[in-house]
Amino acid sequence: MIPSESDAALMARIEARDARALGELYDRHAPRLLGLARRILGGGGEAEEVVQETFLFAWRSAASYDAGRGAVLTWLLIATRSRAIDRLRARGAGSRPPLRPLEDAGDPPATDDVEASSADREWRAICRSAVGELPAEQRAVLELAYFEGLTQQEIAERTATPLGTVKTRARLGLMKLRERLRPYRRSGTDAP
Amino acid sequence: MPHSERHEELVALLALGAPLGADAAELERHRAEGCPVCEALLAEGREAATALGASVDPAPPPAELRVRILGALGPRRAAPPPATPWRVFAAAAALLLAAVVFDDARLRRDREELRSRSADLAGRLHNAETALAERTLRARVLESDDMQMMRLGGSGPQSGARGMVYWSPKARRGILMAGRLAPLPPDRQYELWVFQNGKPVNAGVFDADASGRAVFESAPFPEAEAQNFAVTVEPRGGMPAPTGPIVLVGAPA
Repeated sequence: MIPSESDAALMARIEARDARALGELYDRHAPRLLGLARRILGGGGEAEEVVQETFLFAWRSAASYDAGRGAVLTWLLIATRSRAIDRLRARGAGSRPPLRPLEDAGDPPATDDVEASSADREWRAICRSAVGELPAEQRAVLELAYFEGLTQQEIAERTATPLGTVKTRARLGLMKLRERLRPYRRSGTDAP
Repeated sequence: MPHSERHEELVALLALGAPLGADAAELERHRAEGCPVCEALLAEGREAATALGASVDPAPPPAELRVRILGALGPRRAAPPPATPWRVFAAAAALLLAAVVFDDARLRRDREELRSRSADLAGRLHNAETALAERTLRARVLESDDMQMMRLGGSGPQSGARGMVYWSPKARRGILMAGRLAPLPPDRQYELWVFQNGKPVNAGVFDADASGRAVFESAPFPEAEAQNFAVTVEPRGGMPAPTGPIVLVGAPA
């Protein structure tokens, strides 16, 4: 098997306006990004629009990617999440999809086919397990902030929790997540 | 203000992408004073927060999404434009325009045909969840108060090809709907050109579907005013200046 080019090498080619490199980056990560956009926005065309915007952003702004600050996939996930949340906020609070806990989401049958590599599957399993091991009340705060883009006040109202407790749970939850992922942290030049 | 647990709480919320509201100013002031702890926590926190996104099940994207994205890219890597082919191209385009512009009956017939084909295409797009294309078309061009249209006629090796460009000078974008386009070898693509200040400017590359149809949203035009449009066959990825045969060309009003 020919070893595949690293994400960072693809970014360098994209910066040099090589459309094929963008195609390769898309093949590698589009399913993950679409999964995230759908998790935030639900089904329908909007999630695909977000993925399109994200890759066009990567095309236009490849030069702004800094390998020292994180992996390419992290950069793409942040770009996807922020675009999806912008759309969610634009819809207004009334039409937010209900938050779906991870354990209820279930595994789609096509997962193995759409994920680029076993390393990707492994990384997803690590992240999923790290999130799943968080105390439920901390995880709820993290998920409401990340997937629904709620403010701390909104999280407090939604969970019927004092604002101070929301802040503490955000700090502790994120700290635990960070510690659980620390052994797996990789350099920014490699995916993910 | 010295670093405190409160700042770490705000940094965690910031890393999660939660708007801080009234607390934002306080954290900004603290960070502006230069707090290495907060900066490190923010960087690590952002990476940790991404684990939430990375834990989600992947979803297989529809095949046309890839085509749509690659078709919407702007200028790509290619050799610098040679000077002479511009003039040759412009002259050829001018001759073709003269030949096709006055045939009213055919214009009407073709317009009806294109309308019907456009409706058919729009329906197919909708079914294929290409909501982006439609929404973008509507928002940027078709619903703009300055929308303009130009019919494109087939030319050279593809005299049977037909097309229509809708564009908005304000949005500096156009939508090309084309039909009866010939299949191309895998290393070739159609490239749309917009004529501005008498010169063709790359407006993006696209592929036709198996039945020879294409609906394509152009790359942004550098200038607002467009005098004409044309489509040529170019190496996949497009060229900065036309080099291949003209297959569609428009008629300025």
